[in-house]
Amino acid sequence: MNETLDELASEYVLGTLPIEQRAEVERRLPHDAELRAAVDAWEQRLLPLTALAAPVPPSPLLWRRIERTLAPAARGVPWWNLLAVWRGLAGAGLLASLVLSALLLTRPPGAAPSFVVVLVAPQSQAPGWVIQASHNQQIQLIPLGVMEVPADKALQFWTKGDGWQGPVSLGLVKPGQTLSVPLDKLPPLTPNQLFELTLEAPSGSPTGKPTGPIQAIGRAVKVL
Amino acid sequence: MLATQGPWRWLIQCQEYNVLPETLFDYPACLSACARGDQRALRQLYEQDSSRLLGVALRIVRDKALAEDIVHDAFIRIWRGAGSFDPGRGSARGWVFSVTRHLALNHVRNQHREVALGEEHEQLAADTVTFEFPARSGQMHTCLEQLDPARRTCILHAYVDGYSHSEIAQKLGTPLGTVKAWIKRSLTALRECMA
Repeated sequence: MNETLDELASEYVLGTLPIEQRAEVERRLPHDAELRAAVDAWEQRLLPLTALAAPVPPSPLLWRRIERTLAPAARGVPWWNLLAVWRGLAGAGLLASLVLSALLLTRPPGAAPSFVVVLVAPQSQAPGWVIQASHNQQIQLIPLGVMEVPADKALQFWTKGDGWQGPVSLGLVKPGQTLSVPLDKLPPLTPNQLFELTLEAPSGSPTGKPTGPIQAIGRAVKVL
Repeated sequence: MLATQGPWRWLIQCQEYNVLPETLFDYPACLSACARGDQRALRQLYEQDSSRLLGVALRIVRDKALAEDIVHDAFIRIWRGAGSFDPGRGSARGWVFSVTRHLALNHVRNQHREVALGEEHEQLAADTVTFEFPARSGQMHTCLEQLDPARRTCILHAYVDGYSHSEIAQKLGTPLGTVKAWIKRSLTALRECMA
């Protein structure tokens, strides 16, 4: 037996080697069969001594931590890697195009130039509503789905043309409901006119101007 | 000292922690199931041994949160290394314990704990000066009994508490050179006794 090697193995297993020598042993182990055999023999010899340490029950969180480390995919997936997001966006996009083509096809021939607005969520760009205006004084707000609105909030509909002082309220909107809004008190619709839905108090914005977060926003596009 | 000695102590320990005696748990089958990606096998190993592994790590690192970190890392290493475990190299159970012990040892050696031994540590060490021999250690027990008590204490403090040569010297009030020589000769004696 190689005495020096066995001594190194024994003190490695015992734990008394300084860190540099421990690292050296661990570097050699994978390709030094003789050292490995000596270490394995010492691990077997001294293993019964582990019973001298009294068992200590781990905290209930330890296994959960181990599981989390083993399945990193289950945690912290960025939103752009979630299939559901893209399915939702694709579905909403398809729906929007169907609605728009239906609007185009059903539009009576010779009607005055009209406007279409697609309102999208500011973050995800997912289309949530469509506005069609077959003439300049009346618009229809058509939902593409049912938007979740907190119980103590309401959706308020706003518009602002280029050069206006600020947005003007078009009233409160119930999620999932088609709404017709007369525009007779307002100047005629213009291209690029802004429309948005914000989250406000149940009775509408107390200031008369949008105060809550924007839920959907879009600009008017002229269709022929 | 516990009032219960002999083989009964082991049985009581198993009941307390609701685990099987090691002879009834199929460690090699557990490791090969882990290698196949069966996470239930790792969970079984955890239920079987996490308390004992935490006990082993805690004696060495002396901090429960740190010891849990060590056991966490050990389970990850066991899971990832299960496929390359070679049964020809020794017992699967021994490997599980070795992985955990060496992670704990590397941690304390990296910390250069010897420079920071304070009074608190002396108190801790005083609590652990007597070692209770498990009933099952068999040949190991017999061979340890044959060692001079001071030398036996050196071996146990090193293996169980993860003490370095200088920590043992400081703790026993014995010159460093003497401690190193005692350990070296005790290991040779153990090897010959157990051959």
